[in-house]
Amino acid sequence: MNGDRIAFENVSVTYPGGHSALDAVSLEIPAGQMVAVVGLSGAGKSTLIRTINGLVPATDGTVTVGDRTLNNLSARQLRDLRGDIGMIFQGFNLAKRTSVLNNVMMGRLHSSPMWRTLLGAWSAEDTELGMQALERVEIVGKAYQKASSLSGGQQQRVAIARALAQEPRVILADEPVASLDPPTSHVVMRDLQRINVELGITVVVNLHFLDLAKRYGDRLIGLRDGKVVFDGHGRDADEAVFESIYGRSLTAEDVLEAGFSRNGAEL
Amino acid sequence: MTTPVTERPPKPRNGWKAVAVLAVIAIITIWAGIGVDADLGDIIDNWGNATGKLVQLMQPDYWFFPETVDAILETLQMAFIATAIGAAISFPLSFAASRVTNPNRAMLAAVRAVMNVVRAVPDLLYAAVLVAVVGTGALSGILALIVFNIGIIVKLVSEALDSIDRGPQEAALAAGGTWIAANRSAVAPQIFPAFVSQGLYTLELNVRASAVIGLVGAGGLGMLIDNVRTFYKYHQLSLIILEILVIVLALEMLSSWARRKLVG
Repeated sequence: MNGDRIAFENVSVTYPGGHSALDAVSLEIPAGQMVAVVGLSGAGKSTLIRTINGLVPATDGTVTVGDRTLNNLSARQLRDLRGDIGMIFQGFNLAKRTSVLNNVMMGRLHSSPMWRTLLGAWSAEDTELGMQALERVEIVGKAYQKASSLSGGQQQRVAIARALAQEPRVILADEPVASLDPPTSHVVMRDLQRINVELGITVVVNLHFLDLAKRYGDRLIGLRDGKVVFDGHGRDADEAVFESIYGRSLTAEDVLEAGFSRNGAEL
Repeated sequence: MTTPVTERPPKPRNGWKAVAVLAVIAIITIWAGIGVDADLGDIIDNWGNATGKLVQLMQPDYWFFPETVDAILETLQMAFIATAIGAAISFPLSFAASRVTNPNRAMLAAVRAVMNVVRAVPDLLYAAVLVAVVGTGALSGILALIVFNIGIIVKLVSEALDSIDRGPQEAALAAGGTWIAANRSAVAPQIFPAFVSQGLYTLELNVRASAVIGLVGAGGLGMLIDNVRTFYKYHQLSLIILEILVIVLALEMLSSWARRKLVG
C-alpha cells in the first residue's frame, strides 16, 4: 500500500441554494503526506474533503487523485476511485445493529461480487483483510460484537478499520474526534498518524482544534469562507495566522486540552 | 435580585385555532350524519328484534367447535403463507419506494404511484375479483392477502426508511459500493427490526382480514361465517367470533413476545 497525490486546481463548490462553500482553492498534497485542515464550522472543511472522493462534486476547477481527475469519471470509474479512498466521519457512521466485522466488511464492498454482498457471504480473503484491519487498530477482540455495544472511541477505531480494509491509497477524516473526549481523541489521532507513517497512505484530516492539528499534521491548511488563508507547517501558525483563520484571537475553547495545559502551553 | 435583561414576551393567543378545528369537525360530522340518514330512533324501533339475537350471541354453541377446526386451521395457514410471501416481496420493494434508498427519481415515482393504487383498493375487492378469476377457496384468499400485505408493508417500511440515519449509507457509498450494496450492508441491518415488527403486525391483520374476505368465498373462517349467518345460527356465529377473538389475542401476545426477542 502506498499513497496517492491529491491536487486541487481552482476548485469552487456552489451548493444548489447558491451558497458558495469553496472559492477557487488550489492545493497540491504530495503522496504520503498527513495534512490537517482547520477552520470554523461552515468554512468549507467538510466540502473540501468530500470533493476528493466525489461525495460533493466540484462546480468549477479540477480535483485529481493519483492520475485520475474526478470531473469526467463514469459512475463505475467513480466507484473504482472511491474504492481507493477510505473515509472516516465525525459520527462514526457504523451500522450499529450489525457486527463489528460486518461493518469493517463494508470496506470490501467495492471489490465484492454483488451476490456475496447481498448474502453477506464474504470471501475468506476479504474476512482476513477485515480481521487484519481490526488488529491494526487493536480492537479485533470485538469482531463479533454488535457495533452499538462499543464506546465512541472504539466505534471510531472500527470505522478506521473499515477504511483500512479498503487497502486505500488515501484516507479522508472529517472531524474524526469531534464526538470524543480528549484522551480518546489522542488514541484515534495516533492511529491515523501510525497508518500514515507505517503504510504511507496520504491522510487528509479536518480538525476543529488547532493544537491537535499542529501536533499531528505534517502540514496545516487554514480555511476561511471557502478560501485557503494559511498553508504551511504547524510551527509557523502563530497568533496572527490564527486570527486570519478564525477571525479573532485564540481562546481556551479553541484548544482541546485547555483544561490540562496552562494558557495553551501546548501551542 | 437581578433585573431582567429583556421584557417577558406576551403569551401568544392561538387558542382560537383549536376551537375552530373542533367546530369544523363537528359541522362535518353532523352534515355527514344527515347525509347518510342516520336515525337513532332505528335502534329503539329494532330493539325487540335485536335483543333476541344479542341473547343468542351471548350463548356460544361450544359443541359446534369440531366443525370449525378445519376453517380455523385454514385461516391460520392462509394468514401465515400470505404474510411470508407478502413480506418477502415487500422487503426489496420498500427500498425502491423510499427516497433515501432509491436515487432514481423516475423509478421512485413509478413505484410509489403503483403502491398507492395497490393500497387504495380494499382487500374485500381483491378477494371478490380473485374469487371470480381463480374460483372460491383458500388460493384466492391467499392471493388477495398477499396483495393487501404488500400494500401495507411497503408503505410502513418505506416510511421508516425515509427517516433513517443516512450516515452508514454515506460511508458505504464513500467506500465505493453501489447503491444496492450500500443499502444491503448499511441500511438493511438498521431497518430489519422495523420490518419484522410490521410483518408480525401484518400476520395479525391477516387473521382478521381472512375472516372478512371469506364472506365473498375466499376460504377460511369467513366462508364458515357466511354459511351460519345465512341460516341465522347465531349460537354458532357467536362461537366463531369468540374463536377469532382468542386467535387474535394469542397472536398479539406471540408477536409482541417475538418483537421483544428479535428487536430488543
